[in-house]
Amino acid sequence: MADGSSPDSPFSDPKNIGREEPVGRFSFGRLIELSNSAGTILILALLVLINTDIGGRAFFNSPVSGVPEMVRLSIVAIVFLQAAHTLKVGRLTRAEIIIDRVVAKWPRLGGGLGALYNLTGAALFTVILFAVYPSFILAWNDDLFIGAEGDFTAPTWPTKLIILIGCVLVAIQFLIFAWREVRKIFNGSAGNG
Amino acid sequence: MSGIEIGLISLAAMVILIYAGMYVPVVLALVSFVSVWVMRGDIHLAVKLLGLATENSLSSYLFGVVPLFVLMGLLVNVSEIGKDTFEIADWAFGRLKGGLGIATVAANAVFASITGISIASAAVFTKVAVPEMLRFGYTPRFAVGVVAGSSVLGMLIPPSLLLIVYGLLADISIGDLFIAGIVPGAVLALAYAVGIVFMAVRYPDQVGGTVRADESARPSMTIKGFVAKISPIVILVIVVLGGIYGGVFTPTEAGAAGALGALILALAKRRLDWRTFWQVLVETGHVTASVLLLVLGATMYSRMLALSGLPAFFGQWMAGAGFEFHWLIAIFVITVILMGTVLDSISIMLVLLPLIFPILIGMEVNLVWFGIVTIVAVEIGLLTPPFGLAVYIIKSTLDDGRITLMDIFAGAFPFAVIMLLVLVLIIAVPSLSLMLL
Repeated sequence: MADGSSPDSPFSDPKNIGREEPVGRFSFGRLIELSNSAGTILILALLVLINTDIGGRAFFNSPVSGVPEMVRLSIVAIVFLQAAHTLKVGRLTRAEIIIDRVVAKWPRLGGGLGALYNLTGAALFTVILFAVYPSFILAWNDDLFIGAEGDFTAPTWPTKLIILIGCVLVAIQFLIFAWREVRKIFNGSAGNG
Repeated sequence: MSGIEIGLISLAAMVILIYAGMYVPVVLALVSFVSVWVMRGDIHLAVKLLGLATENSLSSYLFGVVPLFVLMGLLVNVSEIGKDTFEIADWAFGRLKGGLGIATVAANAVFASITGISIASAAVFTKVAVPEMLRFGYTPRFAVGVVAGSSVLGMLIPPSLLLIVYGLLADISIGDLFIAGIVPGAVLALAYAVGIVFMAVRYPDQVGGTVRADESARPSMTIKGFVAKISPIVILVIVVLGGIYGGVFTPTEAGAAGALGALILALAKRRLDWRTFWQVLVETGHVTASVLLLVLGATMYSRMLALSGLPAFFGQWMAGAGFEFHWLIAIFVITVILMGTVLDSISIMLVLLPLIFPILIGMEVNLVWFGIVTIVAVEIGLLTPPFGLAVYIIKSTLDDGRITLMDIFAGAFPFAVIMLLVLVLIIAVPSLSLMLL
């Protein structure tokens, strides 16, 4: 919506979504759809949680404790649960106006750039994976939590685990896109020659 | 190399990579990561900063506003309130010269007060208002131009996703920003209406349109129908803006209450089944992830900038050169408008704001006022070629080969000019933005 992505980006054609996934069988596409659905349910949970808190305060004088903490933890989780699917459906923000013209004019150069961009994305999320990993281990081993003891506490490791999973899924999705671009370069040359 | 030099090089690299079509969040994070690495000569430090930014920058209660207001906006969309507001406005203004144009602006302004996404308004009013205007003999250019121009009201009149993102970047109250957007939004709508009357009187051929003198052609509206159509909107506005203004709700809570209200409304109007609701939730998630990944990248970038000392350097240089504030604003606005020809609104804000905030804070500029200035400047970009998002949305919603992209850009042009005039007014008269605070 607010971003500049158009669904007909050459790197992530929505027509490809679900194409290579046979129904009922496990595949990477299904996995990120599942992860996306989990994020979607978390958004619904936020809606219910905050409104319950408002209602509880207004009518029963009994607020739900720990709402700010739960919102904090779930917002990060939502982003990383949905990042891979957001990328897949072409909604990760890019300025495609110039690259689209390059792709139209020189398809192989466009394919090369597309592959490069997607590999860069994969590399970045791999670095983030390694950057967050130690902090997950720390939170897991030391049972780190947020909130105030006696009132409301929540462990921090689940959110960190979700960040790690999200990074893996996004990196794989980037690699799939990169592979597609590379194949396009060679298919293109076969078609022309 | 000094931090300043690295900062400048990374800024240039970032702009080039974004223009070349690399994913914007990836560019922001990657360039920041490499810059910190080069600056400190320590990859472990760079990795550590990247990890900290990933874990901490989104981990805030405040960020709950993003999915909740997006959800509210999308629910308002499916409940066809856009159509209702247009019917009311048509009934009120339809008989004036250029009246359907004014009705479109008025309906958009009202619609904007319950939704925060411009692009949504552009799609809704392309479907609702354009066919009606064509039916009454308005020229296609004028019809699509009005829709494009007035769709930008969505981001200025609260709630607004752009104001939310600005507030998150500037670390100032989103409630204050929302309140500050009200008067400038009304002024812009009024300026559009005046502009439409002026065009209709001065260039009737360009506008077209028949005046419906005949009472029977006038859309009928009973008092009961009017109340039924207007009251849900009024209630939502009271809940969200009233809640924030009265201090009853935090912006996050106002978003949740507004989304619940919109949900009840959509259910009451029988516009929502499970399938649509799920689609709306999935769409909300995609917008949220895409916006917040941008914010994540921008956090890393602004930390890198702080580390490089570039903003402080700019500030000192400007103070030393006797650079006056109005020049800074002029350069900022021109840069924003130029970037708006290619980049999307949020990306522009993410690139420019971390650079300019330290300078503004040093100059004790009111960041709420500056936020309104930024939003209007950024939104001009939605209407300008080659990449004007609102124009593209209208084109894809229209599905009418006779109206070209060029027509829409041409039709939107007078409205972009009006925006620019209103922007100058907002800059010259800060109290327009700050009077309600």
